[in-house]
Order: sequence, then C-alpha cells, then structure tokens
Amino acid sequence: MTDYHLVIDGATAEESWIYLDDDAALSDAPSIISLTRLKDQAYALAERSAPLGVILRADGLGKTDLGEDVRELAPFIDRLALIAIHFPAYRNGRGYSAARVLREEFNFTGQLRATGDVLYDQWAMMNRCGINAFELAADIDLATFQTALGELSGAYQPAADQNRGALWARGK
Amino acid sequence: MYRYDEFDHKLVADRVNQFRGQVERRVSGALSEDQFKPLRLMNGVYLQLHAYMLRVAIPYGTLRSEQMRMLAHIARKYDRGYGHFTTRQNIQYNWPALDEIPDLLDELACVEMHAIQTSGNCIRNVTSDQYAGAIEGEAEDPRIVSEIIRQWSTFHPEFTYLPRKFKIAVTAHKNDRAAIKLHDIGIVVKQNDAGEIGYEVHVGGGQGRTPFVAKKMTDFVPKAKLLAYLEAVMRVYNMLGRRDNSYKARIKILVHETGEEEMRRMVEEEFAKIDASEMLTVPQEEIDRISAYFAPPAFETLPADSQAFSQAQADDADFARFVRANVVAHKQDGYAIVNISLKPIGGVPGDATDAQMDVIADLAERFSHDEVRVTHEQNLVLPHVKLDDVKTVYDALAAHELATANLGLISDQIACPGLDYCNLANARSIPLAQEISERFSDLDRQYDIGELKIKISGCINACGHHHVGHIGILGVDKKGTEFYQISLGGAADENAAIGQITGRAFTEEDIVDAIETVVTTYTDLRADGERFIDTYNRVGMAPFKERLYD
Repeated sequence: MTDYHLVIDGATAEESWIYLDDDAALSDAPSIISLTRLKDQAYALAERSAPLGVILRADGLGKTDLGEDVRELAPFIDRLALIAIHFPAYRNGRGYSAARVLREEFNFTGQLRATGDVLYDQWAMMNRCGINAFELAADIDLATFQTALGELSGAYQPAADQNRGALWARGK
Repeated sequence: MYRYDEFDHKLVADRVNQFRGQVERRVSGALSEDQFKPLRLMNGVYLQLHAYMLRVAIPYGTLRSEQMRMLAHIARKYDRGYGHFTTRQNIQYNWPALDEIPDLLDELACVEMHAIQTSGNCIRNVTSDQYAGAIEGEAEDPRIVSEIIRQWSTFHPEFTYLPRKFKIAVTAHKNDRAAIKLHDIGIVVKQNDAGEIGYEVHVGGGQGRTPFVAKKMTDFVPKAKLLAYLEAVMRVYNMLGRRDNSYKARIKILVHETGEEEMRRMVEEEFAKIDASEMLTVPQEEIDRISAYFAPPAFETLPADSQAFSQAQADDADFARFVRANVVAHKQDGYAIVNISLKPIGGVPGDATDAQMDVIADLAERFSHDEVRVTHEQNLVLPHVKLDDVKTVYDALAAHELATANLGLISDQIACPGLDYCNLANARSIPLAQEISERFSDLDRQYDIGELKIKISGCINACGHHHVGHIGILGVDKKGTEFYQISLGGAADENAAIGQITGRAFTEEDIVDAIETVVTTYTDLRADGERFIDTYNRVGMAPFKERLYD
C-alpha cells in the first residue's frame, strides 16, 4: 500500500516497486535501492534477475547539500529499469538536470520517476525533462495532472521530450 | 523591433490563464502562501512592505510607443498614476491588487508584453545596450541575440528552479552600457578575424553582499553554438550551485569557490556533450527571421549637420545644455540619440507618471521611429531623432518636466526603492538621492564636476548598484539608526570594478556633506580632462580618506 497516487506515462498505475532500505535484504520483487548500495554491491546485484531501480538522493549528504551526482550512474545504466529522482523541496530544481542527462546523454529508456515534493506547477517541466512517472499526493486525480501538463501549449526550446521548440520548428 | 507570431501570442496567453488559476488556488486556500510564492515570483509578483508589487518585463529595454502607452494606462488604472523604471530595464508598479493582476496581464498581452521571469530563481529578463542599433561601431545589433536568448530561456524546463536568480546581459559595443561584467552571464557580440559574428562570454559577475566582476570564460563562441554554450554554463550551475545558503547560491560564488580554470574546464566538458547532438544549433532561417525585425528603420538621407539644430542651441542656453548632456551622436547622419533623464532635481530616480509616459510614447511615434528604450541607469531614450526635430522634442519634454539636462552627471543617480517600499532595506535611499541632487542642483557646477556616477543601495543586497558607483553609498542599520557607508572607484562599464569602502559610515545628517567633501577632493586634485574615476584611479583612496576623516 502506498500513500501516493502513481502516474506513469499519463495514466494511473499500480505500484510494482518497493523502496528498499540499505540494511533490508534483497528479495525477488522489483526493488529501488540507494546509489551507495548499487556501487557497493554491483557484482552481487548483477546476478539478480528481478528488475532493479535506484534512487538518486538530493539531500542529507553533508553541509553543502549538493545531492548525488547523476553521472555516477553511468556504469549501471544498462542494468537499471527505474531511476527515481528525489526532489527534497519543489524549489530544488537540481533533479531537472539529472533527468535530462539520463535521457539525452545516457539514453536511458526505463522509468524515470519523480519522488518527494512533486507539486502541480512542476509536473509539466519535469515531464519535458524526461520524467515519465510521478508520485503525486494521494488526493490528486488524473484529470488534475493532465490539466497541469496542458497549461502551456508550446515551448520555445528543445528538452528531453518530442517538442523541438518554436525556435527550431518555425519555418519547418 | 521583434513582433510576436501566433506562437508567441498563444504562449503568453496560456501563461496569463495559468497565473489566473494560480491566483484562484491561492485565494481559495488550495495553495499556501509558501507554495504560491515561487509561482507569483516567476510571474513578477512580489509581496512588499505595503502591498504586492508587479514587475513587467521590457525585454532588452526596447519599447514601441503603443507599449509605452499601455504602461501609462496600467499606471492609471491599476496603480497610483506612476511606474518605476528599474536597473534591469523593467518597470515596477507598487500598488496593484493581487486579484486584479491577471486582468492587468491580459491587457499587457494585447501589446505583446508580460511579466514572465521578472523574478524568481530562473533566467531573468535579458538586458542590453540602450543605444542598440543607433550607435556607431556595433558588431551587430545586440537585440538579435537577446531575442533568441529571451525565447530560449522562456519557460526553460530545466532552469526554472535554479539555486538562485540568473541574469544575462548583452552588448555589442566597446563601451559597455549594459554592465555585462556584473551579470551572471555577460555577452559581448564581436567579430573575429574572419569577419564572423560570435560571442565573448563572461561568467560569475554580480553585486549583492559579495560582489565580483565576471571572469571571461571564452573569447569566442560561434554564432550557431551560443545556446549550447549557455545551456552548458546553466547545467554546471544547476548541478553544482549551492542550495544550502541563499547568500552563497549565485553562480559568482560557484565560480569563486571552484576557481576560474576548473569552472572553464567543466563548462567546456558540458558544452562538448551538449553540442555533440547539435540540438541547440538555431537554424539559420530562424536567425534570419529574427534579425529582420531589427533591421534599421527607414532613415532619410540627410546632411550630417542641421542648421536648425545649431541655431536652436545658439538661441536657447537651456536647450544647449540639454544637448550637451543628453544628446548623443547617432550612426546615421542627420540623426541623434536623445536621452530622457528620469532624475529631475529632488525627484524619485526612475519614476515616471502616466502623463509623462504618454508624452514620451507620442514623441517616439512622431519623432523616433516608434521606439523608446529603457536604460539600466533608470533613464529613457528616444533612439532615432532627426537633428532637425531635437528642439521640438526638447520643448515637449520640458513642458512635462522631462528635460533635466543631467545625463551621467552627479544628480543622475541610481537608487533602489529603499526603506520607503522594500521589506529588505535597512535605510532609505530615495530621500538621500533627493538631498544629494538638491545639494548639487546647480547645473553649471554639475558640468564642472563632469561625469560622476553616484549609486545608492538601502541594504547589502545592492539593488542600487552601490558597489559599482564611482561613489557608492550603502545604507546600514546600526541599532535602529540609519547610517551610510561610502565606497569609491567602482565602475559598471567595460572597465568594471568594485568600489573600496572609505572607512566608518556617516550619519544621515553628515552623509551629504561627506559626499561634497569627496567631490571637492576630486576637483582639487584633478588634472586636465580627468573625470572623477580617472583621478581616483590615479591618486587612490588615501587623499579622499584623509579629507573625510582627519
């Protein structure tokens, strides 16, 4: 039972993943583990057949609070089915860059999920940066989510989605 | 000037509707003030000392007359009959009601204007040289690339929740009037030896409590690659900029703490990755489409001199003074650039009434190819006036208290709103600016003193640019009393420098005398033809300090 409403690719979805604490044993269930564990147990994890996910944490990592470096995921990309990006506060937009690096530089095609302080006015921006799964507050319905995504009809610039942006699309 | 196409219109309309929804959710309580704050900020709405304040974007400081008329209309309808032009070439209204702001934005949208990204931790409205397209010697009209940057940065999905605000300024002239080295990114449009247009990029300048002059990151980015380069700088900043302390969150701190070399290396590395896809290479047809909007207006072929213009100066000493201080040579023979000072003696720097804005709009329409510019020094410009018409323009300006002949002189000060409006301020700025301007009100004395830029901030956040004033004044609060600290030797032009503090601060009663002491020290020491800043750079702080404190 989750306390959020999960939306994947614009539709309500059942949660099929579990977030696993570093000291909890791995099971056969699709599991989301920490970057630390991913790096520490890379060999053991490679032998596991169940889908593997990782969470990129944004805080709790010391004084300057930079968050984990998305590029540390590079060696593991092919083995990951899900990457969750943690937004500790809606004002902290570091995760938008992480999302674009994953989609555009690493060509990550699995589920890219926003977790944490994921609010109405950020969904469309996250979506453009390649995030396709959203952990929404439980009382938010799908229609509200879709309204938010459609508030701006276009974009000027390309990002990780299909929209090339007006600067490129005009005259084409 | 750039004109919206259907796409631009639709996006601004979408944004107004979106903001209307946000205001409704705030009013209904669905959004807390904390959740509403970044949303209203992203749309230029601040909560100030007395009321909400709305900042309207004037991209690169260029306005058409119908837009200026709309600004006048808004001052009348939604405010108390005036607006305040800011150091970022925008205009602020201090008294709009929150629930009326969506309607106000609808009206603005009718003339292709908005308040998008005039605040918040995003890429702010891009600023440029107020003489763009009018002054001799530009590599290219800087508004072309400014407009491309405006579009690219508008609702940029990756860079809307940055560690802190982010300001970009552009110049295309050897004399920097846009203070580009004091911006997060400063761009110089230039031509390389092969005659190609490209961009010199400076990163990490800024004022606030920790001022820095920007570091030159690269000497030349080819035209087609600029957005890829900017996106690289932005991404490095978004990933590595500090979010734990808002005073250390600007890119200037990242550049300072990382070091210029390492910053350059990271930017180059990111640039190589982003540029590899060529996704951000703007198509030539689009560059051409935007450039066409900035083609020179249809100038008449005129002689370089105007008999009427010379005669009017001979006949009218006040007009001659105005020409001397406020009129600048145009690149086109027979034309002039006419500056309109918003610094009348004893007035509020940057304020204009609705009636004044209407007059300026009319003059722009009749005499300046429909264009008005806003300067970062909080003045206005009619960029394309025929020499034959300057006297007519002057007479109309004079009739509306808009002909103060003090451009660049001691009474042409920058001042932040200060304690009279702002909830951050420690001290009042506007009354001090007024006192100084009254002390030096004699125009002949002002000309004798020559170019001297006084900049006043009411607190350490430096909105009044005190760090880069030839004379900077910073208001500080000591146990509930307002004091003023003086700094000398700052500059915001191509020789950008941060001023040095003279010593202990002065009381409200003593500060104007202290400024007078600084000025007379300069006039006593100056060599022939030396401006204040030249003398200061030659003699240094010591003689000023001696006269101020001994």
